[in-house]
Amino acid sequence: MKKALTSILVLLFAIAVFAGCSDSGNNGGDQEGKNGTQEPAEEKLVYLTQTAPPSMLEQLEAGEIDGFIAWEPFNSTAVTDGYGKYLFTSQDVWDDHPCCVLAINENFTDETTIEALVWAHIKAVRFINDPANSEKVLQYASDFTGKNEDVVKKSLENITYVEYPAKDEFEEYYNSLVEGKLLKNSVESIGYTDSNKFFESFLKTSVYDKVSGELDKDAGWKPANVPAETKVRLGYLAADLHQLAMFVADKEGYYSQVGLVNGENLETKVFPNGVAVMEAFKAKDVDMAYLGGAPATLKRINDDIPVEIVAGANNEGSGLVVKNEINALADMAGKTIAVPGVGTVQYTLLDKALREEGLRPVIK
Amino acid sequence: MGLFDYSTAEQVTGRSAGLGLFKRFNDKLLRIMSAVTILIIWQLTASLQLLELPSPITTLGVFIDLIISGDPLYNRTLPEIVWASLQIVIRACAVSIIVAVSLGILMGAVQPLRKYLEAILELLRPIPPLAWIPLAYVIFANTGSPTEYVQVFVVFVGAFFPILLNTIHGISMINRIYLEAARTMGASPRQILRQVMLPAALPSIFNGIRVGFGVGWMSIVAAEFVGGKLGIGYYIWSSYSVGGRTAEIISGMVAIGIVGSLINKVILLTEKRLVPWR
Repeated sequence: MKKALTSILVLLFAIAVFAGCSDSGNNGGDQEGKNGTQEPAEEKLVYLTQTAPPSMLEQLEAGEIDGFIAWEPFNSTAVTDGYGKYLFTSQDVWDDHPCCVLAINENFTDETTIEALVWAHIKAVRFINDPANSEKVLQYASDFTGKNEDVVKKSLENITYVEYPAKDEFEEYYNSLVEGKLLKNSVESIGYTDSNKFFESFLKTSVYDKVSGELDKDAGWKPANVPAETKVRLGYLAADLHQLAMFVADKEGYYSQVGLVNGENLETKVFPNGVAVMEAFKAKDVDMAYLGGAPATLKRINDDIPVEIVAGANNEGSGLVVKNEINALADMAGKTIAVPGVGTVQYTLLDKALREEGLRPVIK
Repeated sequence: MGLFDYSTAEQVTGRSAGLGLFKRFNDKLLRIMSAVTILIIWQLTASLQLLELPSPITTLGVFIDLIISGDPLYNRTLPEIVWASLQIVIRACAVSIIVAVSLGILMGAVQPLRKYLEAILELLRPIPPLAWIPLAYVIFANTGSPTEYVQVFVVFVGAFFPILLNTIHGISMINRIYLEAARTMGASPRQILRQVMLPAALPSIFNGIRVGFGVGWMSIVAAEFVGGKLGIGYYIWSSYSVGGRTAEIISGMVAIGIVGSLINKVILLTEKRLVPWR
């Protein structure tokens, strides 16, 4: 018994010493061999690793990965710095795919405040989309993300700022979650008869319809002022260029025009990622927030966190960046791509693109 | 020989001190009772819906399912996921043992060297392994696979200090009489090192290795935070991001616990065999 254990330990050390560090990067092939029986031999695989976007840049530069799929401004940073090039951007693969949204806690029912924030948001989006403001937008984007103007200019080309996301594109994302077995709960188990009913409630268009309708009739229209004693906590993600509207609304004074004073009755809270925003929604730590539509949908269903989407922030704005020597998606067979996580909209986008090319993504 | 054998070997072989109360409960019964207590509290919390926890039975089902057929989302079984992490920990700890034990013996035996290095090591010791990640990326930027190196490095840092400190302690606690006696009888420095110092310090070194491996295994969750191949730390984190997978998260945690205590046991048994004079 003791002898056996000792020899096991010695063996483990032998493995450790002889295996070294560097050769393990190629182990992916062996690992896949185990699952080989389930798949036809001719199937072309692409390996996925999960990595936070800042590390993706380092990994691509070092040659540890062959490409990564992330959101702006990470993509344009890598391209501007010369580490890689775009193989595709969102619109090449999936036109108008939803991305960041403005969501509210279902328990937050102050109609005046919701209307005021949606108004400020729409005003900001229209400001961003007005070609006359392009210089100013570039400056704001650079200030918000801390990146230089070359980088944000390239980023902005790939982002479409919208006022409300398309319902059918959201449903397509939802279907990919169902197919990918990412949903532990079903819409039925959280109290809806089917996915249609779920989306009717989840995508709460009523406020947006009213505000945009009024603005279309009269561009100078303004909703009622939020009283000074009504407090609202607004969350957003740190330096996420998709959520530029929030920064613009603040700087252009749209919040103050409807009685929301940053630091007094408007409290902004910064979060590292959408999952953290959803936890804050659950803990009733935030009333409204900008976050990715993907974590919002996933956690709305899987963890039954009661949120509704009252406006869109952007569509598209993601892309696959690869090493300079790769020229086509078909070349990605056997290569490794970093994704921000399973179930993210980037993951869905990549999955879609690879399958159309006859490639199958597997997690390394 | 249980979870808390992180102290001295006296408790492994001899009996522990105590007030002598509740003597009629034997050890085995107490062990079973503690497990039952946890399960009852867990079951109560789940069935009274105090927290949104899956029940112990549901979790056990998921745990067994993960071991046998794996997680469909990642196409991996739990042992495969744990093994990916364990490989990194073994590699990092092997390097850590080699570096820390040799450095520890030198620092224990050569006073000026110890004084020379002490200040810098005392400064580095309180830095948590996680804080090294960004700098580690810079250090290993040109290695071709920085993530792999960063992960190994983070675990290495976690394991390094317990091993080093215990080795120094083991060497410096040797009774001077033994060293003087060996010297009087004409032993060379090499003989003193190999035949007096090392055997005397070995129990303490093994203590360090055990604690070091334990800390290293804990650091893997932090190390996998940077991403890379699917290991147990990232599995837990990724399951959390997707949501609704509390049973999978608990299963992952249980797997970490089981593997951690197994590592501890294996090292203890090796120590008993290699250090019979303890």
